[in-house]
Amino acid sequence: MGDGGAGTGSNRSSNKPEWLQQYDLIGKIGEGTYGLVFLARIKSNRSKSIAIKKFKQSKDGDGVSPTAIREIMLLREITHENVVKLVNVHINHADMSLYLAFDYAEHDLYEIIRHHRDKVNQAINQYTVKSLLWQLLNGLNYLHSNWIIHRDLKPSNILVMGEGEEHGVVKIADFGLARIYQAPLKPLSENGVVVTIWYRAPELLLGAKHYTSAVDMWAVGCIFAELLTLKPLFQGAEVKATPNPFQLDQLDKIFKVLGHPTLEKWPSLAHLPHWQQDSQHIQGHKYDNTNLYSVVHLSPKSPAYDLLSKMLEYDPRKRITAAQALEHEYFKIEPQPGRNALIPCQPGETFVNYPTRPVDTTTDFEGTTNMQPPQPVSSGAAVSGGMPGHVSNRSVPRPMNVVNMQRIPHQAMQAYNLTSQAVMPGGMNPGGIPMQRGVPQQQQLRRKDQMGMSGYPQQKSRRI
Amino acid sequence: MGSSGTFFSLSSLMCEESQVSFFEDHDENSCYILEDEEEYIEYLLRQETGFGSQNHFLLSDDHNPGRFWLKSARVDAIDWIFITQAKFGFKVETAYLSVTYFDQFLSKRSIDESKPWAVKLLSVACLSLAAKMEEQNVPPLSEYPIDEYRFENKVIKNMELLILSTLEWKMGSATPFAYLHYFVSKFCPGSRPETIINKATEHIVTIAKDITLMDQRPSIIASAAILAAFDTTLTRKALDLRISVISSWGNIESGHVFSCYNLMQEKRENKVKTPSSNLLCTQSSSTCVVENSSDTCSGAKRKLSFEDTENCQGQKLHRS
Repeated sequence: MGDGGAGTGSNRSSNKPEWLQQYDLIGKIGEGTYGLVFLARIKSNRSKSIAIKKFKQSKDGDGVSPTAIREIMLLREITHENVVKLVNVHINHADMSLYLAFDYAEHDLYEIIRHHRDKVNQAINQYTVKSLLWQLLNGLNYLHSNWIIHRDLKPSNILVMGEGEEHGVVKIADFGLARIYQAPLKPLSENGVVVTIWYRAPELLLGAKHYTSAVDMWAVGCIFAELLTLKPLFQGAEVKATPNPFQLDQLDKIFKVLGHPTLEKWPSLAHLPHWQQDSQHIQGHKYDNTNLYSVVHLSPKSPAYDLLSKMLEYDPRKRITAAQALEHEYFKIEPQPGRNALIPCQPGETFVNYPTRPVDTTTDFEGTTNMQPPQPVSSGAAVSGGMPGHVSNRSVPRPMNVVNMQRIPHQAMQAYNLTSQAVMPGGMNPGGIPMQRGVPQQQQLRRKDQMGMSGYPQQKSRRI
Repeated sequence: MGSSGTFFSLSSLMCEESQVSFFEDHDENSCYILEDEEEYIEYLLRQETGFGSQNHFLLSDDHNPGRFWLKSARVDAIDWIFITQAKFGFKVETAYLSVTYFDQFLSKRSIDESKPWAVKLLSVACLSLAAKMEEQNVPPLSEYPIDEYRFENKVIKNMELLILSTLEWKMGSATPFAYLHYFVSKFCPGSRPETIINKATEHIVTIAKDITLMDQRPSIIASAAILAAFDTTLTRKALDLRISVISSWGNIESGHVFSCYNLMQEKRENKVKTPSSNLLCTQSSSTCVVENSSDTCSGAKRKLSFEDTENCQGQKLHRS
């Protein structure tokens, strides 16, 4: 027991719960609909960085949030090199909030793509693209064979480990929407969660209620194309309405590149609600020449194009599966994919030094300011300055930091150790701590998304 | 993956929004096996092999003096869970799942005879958790109908957290419902699945009161229920023949199915005596809720505050 039980008082860190005392908190690295993400170090092992995700308190009358239950339940069961690993679950009894500890991953595909587009001005090298894609498929194949659908794959949810033993290893993160098939299907827009529509499969856009793992493969196809061109493949403008509005523009973007879907190629199309009703006259619209290969600058005969087009197959039943994709010829020809996706083995390839995540060192777990002195983050670049008590954000080196704050760094791997101690609340009793009401954990932290400098489309509010 | 694995019901295998459309969508009520279904059922059966109950001490240990009390408290809890399920329009699976949480919790922690309110609190929190796993619309905690006691939302939430951590967050327990469709089409080809599944569901719910849900594998209960719904006159031999289509099952499984099948038959004929729920009636009507650690009983409805649960922790819920 005893994890986070009472507000302690034992140590000098006066009102820090016990579980928190095993960490040195470094700062906030992300914020989303479901809560905040912090970077921390384990005191007993200073070399190990941990990302701690704090779930936003659910309404008092709702109990533990369904999202938290599902995400933790899933993560508890998952062990794969290419999937984030939950290291620990902490229950903070003072306010009954939940904290998840993950191994920290320094990079993600959103950042890597943006860095190439805006800073390097050069495509990502073939080896890196292929290795990232292969590892992504490898993790996805594991999830799918355990009957888990991710449902929200997008570049910011695909993490890549920074320097260290697992350098350049891909980790699929963010299981807030993932579903073991038994969980009820909720509209993606539920709980005010806005998920970007750019990676959403056409069957879902057309109103299908039958999710299959093929929706994840569509997203992988979109991500593959984005790795090649550094631009989102289908950048539709989202219709904001509830619940689940018809996303005409997104379909329009898809049809323009892939051509109009036909009943011949996709028989079950006829049963999809939005196609059937056709209130927007999508059936009558004419889209002719398909030009996917020219959009992604690939030869129509190349294995890369063949694989991509199989991922972007309209009919979910015909769409390539993760297992099949791993066997595709693309991965058998040179350059072959490797474990460290970021370091090309070929001589002559330029090595790209990806920036580290910005850290807001002025925020503590409660979302109030105060903080311990800043610590250098892995490669050191992200954190500098930031005196205790400073509210200014000047320590964050990169101009894009405000946008970055919206991202979801989840981290991963290594044996988690969900001991009964770690997850065991102190009985039915919150530890005798007077309940804090209305802790102002959010208000000081809320930042509005701002547009990136380069005109890169702003990602929709990223979820944690 | 842990041995518990993750499970889901058939309706969601088809990934449909609602159970109702289950039969409508797929014409003529005929038996059919879905794409992937075979593979999925094999996966479920594999995951189940880790199923087992090492120590469900209170509910099955005959020497435990609290056993009888707890058994009848459990029957009352199950009654309340299914009544509440109907009230909220939850799926039967949801209620059943909450009973599996209930049993798993009590296999790891005990509740003292003098604290009937703790059983009720456990029931509420189990059903609330199951609803969050299974249902699209989950009512606020305050809407759960509890006559005898009043629990603050925070107390219920705390109980939810206690259950989650006691069960190590393995909330995706299998239920027999995941197998029903598959077994109908395997054991009773050519019959109307809807009728049989409805009857089988009744059997499953009925025997939940008699067996701890950790005693029997969900697939065993499901197959016994399907067979009991299909034919009430099966001999062991005839039953063996029907279930022989499940290649991974041997003599042990068929023995379990047969005894489960017989129990269902007996229940149907009302031969088995369920622990009487009357035992608790006298107690629960005189609502006894602890306000301070001093265990005073009074007929008045009391509010269970936070400090109360603190006391409860030490006295009523012991770790096993």
